[in-house]
Amino acid sequence: MKINKQPLSTIQNLPFPIVLVDKHMHIKDCSDSFYEFFGMERPKDGYLELETVIGELQQSLLKIKKNKRFQKTQVNEFITHITRKNELKWYKMVLNPSPESAHYYIYFDDVTKKKIALDLSLQAEKTARIGSWEVDLVNNKIFWSEMTKEIHEVPANFVPDLETGINFYKEGEHRDKIIEVVSEAIENGSPYDVELIIVTAKGNEKWVRAIGKAEMINGKAVRLFGVFKDIDKSKRSNDKIKVLTNRMRVAVESSNIGIWDYDIVNNILVWDDNMYDLYQIDRNEFSGEVAAWEQTIHPEDKEKSLKEVELAIEGKKEFNTEFRIITADGTIRHIHGRGKVFRDENGTALRMIGANTDVSRIKKADNRLRQLLSTTEKQNKSLLNFAHIVSHNLRSNSSNLSMLTGMLLDNIAPAKQQRFLEMIRISSERLDETVVQLNEVIKIQTDHNQKSQWVSIKTTLDNVLESINAHIDEIQPSIEIAVPKDLKVYGMSAYISSIFLNLLTNSLKYRDPKKKLVIKIKAKGEIDQTVISFQDNGKGINLEKHGSNLFGMYKTFHGNKDAKGVGLFISKNQMDAMNAQIVTNSKEGHGATFTLTFPNPKNNKQ
Amino acid sequence: MTKPKVFVVDDDFVFREVAEVLIKSSGLTDEISHFENGLQVYQELVHLAETPSKLPELVLLDINMPVMNGWELLEELKDGPAAIKMGVQIHILTSSIAPEDLNLSKQYDFIKGYITKPLTNADLEKLSKELNNG
Repeated sequence: MKINKQPLSTIQNLPFPIVLVDKHMHIKDCSDSFYEFFGMERPKDGYLELETVIGELQQSLLKIKKNKRFQKTQVNEFITHITRKNELKWYKMVLNPSPESAHYYIYFDDVTKKKIALDLSLQAEKTARIGSWEVDLVNNKIFWSEMTKEIHEVPANFVPDLETGINFYKEGEHRDKIIEVVSEAIENGSPYDVELIIVTAKGNEKWVRAIGKAEMINGKAVRLFGVFKDIDKSKRSNDKIKVLTNRMRVAVESSNIGIWDYDIVNNILVWDDNMYDLYQIDRNEFSGEVAAWEQTIHPEDKEKSLKEVELAIEGKKEFNTEFRIITADGTIRHIHGRGKVFRDENGTALRMIGANTDVSRIKKADNRLRQLLSTTEKQNKSLLNFAHIVSHNLRSNSSNLSMLTGMLLDNIAPAKQQRFLEMIRISSERLDETVVQLNEVIKIQTDHNQKSQWVSIKTTLDNVLESINAHIDEIQPSIEIAVPKDLKVYGMSAYISSIFLNLLTNSLKYRDPKKKLVIKIKAKGEIDQTVISFQDNGKGINLEKHGSNLFGMYKTFHGNKDAKGVGLFISKNQMDAMNAQIVTNSKEGHGATFTLTFPNPKNNKQ
Repeated sequence: MTKPKVFVVDDDFVFREVAEVLIKSSGLTDEISHFENGLQVYQELVHLAETPSKLPELVLLDINMPVMNGWELLEELKDGPAAIKMGVQIHILTSSIAPEDLNLSKQYDFIKGYITKPLTNADLEKLSKELNNG
């Protein structure tokens, strides 16, 4: 290694890091700051090698070192450097050739702070997706920052001009708009701030916010500059909200939900279109007062509904209720209403907003379900009755038989054996009778498909009376019949005969022995139903005591030996099967009236 | 030892007759009275309660009867003379095998037993033992 000796240096005292090297990159001279800059001390004499001070040489310097020809142009480079204290530093290195002496001056500048500041701003740009741009109108030169290029999706080396820049805007309103604002900025220096769509180099559409401003010199724009922000994401999510809101509006419009808004202070009620549809009221005929709403409510629900509103305003109860309305064409609709009361800071109710829903269909389905449930309950009751009869009538007779046969086998009381046999006959006859009745009950339960038809009341009644002729002759009751000759009911002929027979024999059985029996039979045709009644002056029934059991199986009420209780149960089941009703009106000791009500089928005129 | 008095309450005359034969042949007693329903036996019991020594030792009570059934009778007795509840052993004797009826009978603490028809000699032996202990 060759050590140069130069006693007096001209650049030694310069207050910035500078070094003079020959074309082999050997140090010929340097400032004291040069050593300091790289954290070293100046050696006592001579110079260190350049690599020793600044570390591994840059490619550019190595190239110069290798080249035989002298480098005549300036080299300007940023260098990353790790100091001896392990700090990361950036510096700018500028190499200036000095052709006359065939030396190079190399100057260093610490740009670490600047670099960090720049990085931060770049990062900020990147995070916010803000790019900057500048147009030099004098030289017609354009500068786009990295982010601006990224937003446009062009490569880093893309060179734009004013025209290509503008052509990125989507053809039509967006491009027209940018041309308009840019022209104006150039002419008048007026700034702009617009949100437009660009089509990137890759063909993607993007929402951007373009902000621009002109620099005017002597009334003439010389420079145009501004920022460019990618707002695609936020814009699109905004648009999404708009779409959602619209969708909700459409949903509300197409549903049967009506929205109302009640200004409590001024008593003004505002309805949306659905409300008018719901209430079938012409918008022009609605006064906008609560009274107008009141008039539509079903009279039976009016008081309750108004009370609910009152309670809501008083804050005692949330408004959540159901009521019926009568629309202009007379239809009854079931409305479910909900509402919320808005108050000022003192708690005074100012406004009430709510929604009305037409729940008529739900209500109908609900009623149908209830009907189904009640039918099921009825059938369940029948089953219980059935279980009851099996338990009682079958078992009591079968246990009689078992005891009697047991006594015969064990030869208990031999003298009475003849009597035992007689009782066995009675018990088995009873069993047989019970089985026949049970069969009849089951037949009704399973016979629902039997055809209904129009049945003449008078003819049926005559036939039944004929069949119990002997019994009537014996008792000699007075029977008054007021039945129109042609009156018919819609039902099953066999059931109707059976019911008539049962009611008549009941009257004969439970007559008051102290009085002459009087039976009155009336029938009356109404618009949608036919009513037949059987009235007698017999013993009557204590309905308070027996009402709920009246039509149950094997209930008897008179302590009468003939009473088996199954008759009314069968009649009731037969009436049920025909969708008809049987009701009793009676008082103990004052006779009984049974009323049969048959509905007239709507589409089946006789 | 004097023979106990037994009341059989049932609307079915066949059962009453058969029960009487069975009770007599079992040697429990010969003193058997018949009642067709709750009301008849109630009137008799209330009447006898004035001289409690005349009350029966045992009542066999059916449930399903016209006019006044077994349950209705028990309701009347609940508020009736204490002598009846104290001095008379009441056993339900029914053809019902429904658990509801058995459960209902447990609501009356003066009910001593629950027998399901048919009435057997085994039932009568048990009744006889309970009468002697009581």
